[in-house]
Amino acid sequence: MIEYDEFENRMVLKLVYYGPALSGKTTNLLSLHDILDQEGRGDLTVLDTKDDRTIFFDLLPFFLTAPSGLKIKLKVFTVPGQVKHDATRKAVLQRADGVAFIADSQLSEETNNSESFGNLENNLEFVGLDIESIPLVIQFNKRDLKDTVSEENIVRTWGPTGIPVVLSSAIMGQGVVETFSRLVELTYDRIDTKHLLEKNHGLDKNMFIQKITGRNLNEAVFKDKRNMTAGY
Amino acid sequence: MIKDNQGIQYDYIVGEEKKLLELIKGPDIMPLLKSAVNAGAASAALVNAEGEILHQYGEADRAAGLIVSRPVYLEGEVAGQIVISGHKDRELLLNAVGELMFNALKIILQCNFKTILATETHKTVVYQSYEELLETNEKLKLSERKYRELAGSLEKQVQERTEDLKRAHAKLLHQEKLASVGQLAAGVAHEINNPLGFILSNINTLNQYFYKLKEMVFFYRTAMEKKDASGKYLEKSKQQWERLKLDFVFEDTDDLIRESLEGAGRVKKIVSDLKGFSHIDEAHKSDADINTEIDRTLSVLTHEIPQGVQIVKNYGELPPFSCNAAHICQAFYNILLNALQAGGAGLVIDIATQNANNMIKIKFSDNGPGIPDSIRDRIFEPFFTTKEVGTGTGMGLNVTYEIISSYQGTIEVESEVGKGTAFSILLPLPQKVKNV
Ligand SMILES: Nc1nc2c(ncn2[C@@H]2O[C@H](COP(=O)(O)OP(=O)(O)O)[C@@H](O)[C@H]2O)c(=O)[nH]1
Ligand SMILES: [Mg+2]
Repeated sequence: MIEYDEFENRMVLKLVYYGPALSGKTTNLLSLHDILDQEGRGDLTVLDTKDDRTIFFDLLPFFLTAPSGLKIKLKVFTVPGQVKHDATRKAVLQRADGVAFIADSQLSEETNNSESFGNLENNLEFVGLDIESIPLVIQFNKRDLKDTVSEENIVRTWGPTGIPVVLSSAIMGQGVVETFSRLVELTYDRIDTKHLLEKNHGLDKNMFIQKITGRNLNEAVFKDKRNMTAGY
Repeated sequence: MIKDNQGIQYDYIVGEEKKLLELIKGPDIMPLLKSAVNAGAASAALVNAEGEILHQYGEADRAAGLIVSRPVYLEGEVAGQIVISGHKDRELLLNAVGELMFNALKIILQCNFKTILATETHKTVVYQSYEELLETNEKLKLSERKYRELAGSLEKQVQERTEDLKRAHAKLLHQEKLASVGQLAAGVAHEINNPLGFILSNINTLNQYFYKLKEMVFFYRTAMEKKDASGKYLEKSKQQWERLKLDFVFEDTDDLIRESLEGAGRVKKIVSDLKGFSHIDEAHKSDADINTEIDRTLSVLTHEIPQGVQIVKNYGELPPFSCNAAHICQAFYNILLNALQAGGAGLVIDIATQNANNMIKIKFSDNGPGIPDSIRDRIFEPFFTTKEVGTGTGMGLNVTYEIISSYQGTIEVESEVGKGTAFSILLPLPQKVKNV
């Protein structure tokens, strides 16, 4: 959590889209920005200064007010995937409330994916976050391409971990809202345990999802499940 | 300050909240606020979510009574407002200015937000290479220049937009007129009634004169038939000619016909004027003497001036004024007609003209019943009348207002119930070209 100011009645949350370079993190935020248009959805800031690659990071903020008057800002960041930008990754990852790992489904990217995931584990530890308990969702992106890792393989690898996996094509806008909503849902559970969002602020999970995505839980998470979600 | 596992200290958390005041500094916002005022707003300000003024330009015009505001979004949250005050007549303009400021501020905010986010992250990120930092700065400078240019061109944009709005407004006026043909017809009828009145009366007189002529002609015919040898009939015919005052009849007939034709011409003109205000712009202009035009208007009104009404003229010497004389007469006509119709016995109408400060001042004052406060603001509105349409006493002052406005002039009314009314018209003369 970036900040919880009880006096100002304000909570600032952070979600991070992690993953190897060019796996589609920015594309995820671009799609989200396009698809979600409810009140409180802020502008997308894309901080890229060189080539096609993300040198810094991107930011898509959301704002909502709980029935109690608690103001909640949820900032969704991407990190730069390039190996050399590890410091930036650490800085962005600091105080994250949840992480979406965006993997590139192409067979040629398998090594990059696992290296990046290893990097995530290290960096989480580095900034003092616990990989076992932090809300985490994995997205296998670019399902629209040929020569991608099979669904079977994905299930075999990730099934046992219990981490939700979403198959997606960020460029087509598929699985994007689902990934995000799953992460928001898990993040809500975590915050609610500690800060009693429902009990003290009248903000239940469905309302939270609704305010952030403009959709109710079922709609947001299960809409394209049949096509895109691995059978975990 | 946060320490991580390896003891590296971060004094900035990526994503830390920023206040509006940190993101928008004076040099960013002041040119915008200034352009808003230059474009015609009384004041423009940026206030935060608590309603505190962060930056302001101009004085809020309380009397003007119109406030336009637009939200300022920061990361999806309403972090403040742009508040623009101005005259209520400028609603269209103020809204356009508000919209422009909303968009410009959005870009500036986004840009500054980006800069701060990038630089503060840089400070935090220890291993970032110096080269990259420079490069980033270059890029950021570029985008910064972009919005500075934008702020600079805003004024021009506002001006262009104002012109657009003026055109749109003129078009709207035109369309409104077309749309209310029914109402227009009532107004037209009212304007037609008066000139038509004297046309009818003149034609009636003509009719009587014609009867006399007929009588005379019959007499001659009889005379011819009797073949006057003695010259007796010639003498008789002279007597007859005098008895019937035929010299005067012939003379007056000319005048009557001319006046009638003039009146009919005016009717035609009024109808075409009311059909489309645009005609005013196209009308032929010529140099006119305003004093002469007032006299002309008075002569047309002769039939409307009851016994005992006094017209006092205090004419000053006036330079020629380039205008369409028929329109100017129409403007005066409506003011004078209202004074005459509202005023009772002992009515005095004072007409004063003056050339001052490169303006022609015309003041029509009367000692009539005056205009009540409740309707004084409305008398220049289209179709506004104090009486039933059909009695022919609608005010027609909107026509006057439009005509005076079309010469960039102004018209103001002062009135006190029971004391009288004064209309002051100011017509600006074209700027003299100075010899170098
Ligand atoms: N075919 C395909 N291409 C994608 C998809 N998502 C992203 N891309 C492309 O992958 C490239 C890198 O995407 P980007 O979002 O910038 O990656 P980032 O480095 O993780 O932010 C871009 O050319 C995208 O158009 C997808 O779902 N399918
Ligand atoms: Mg990117």
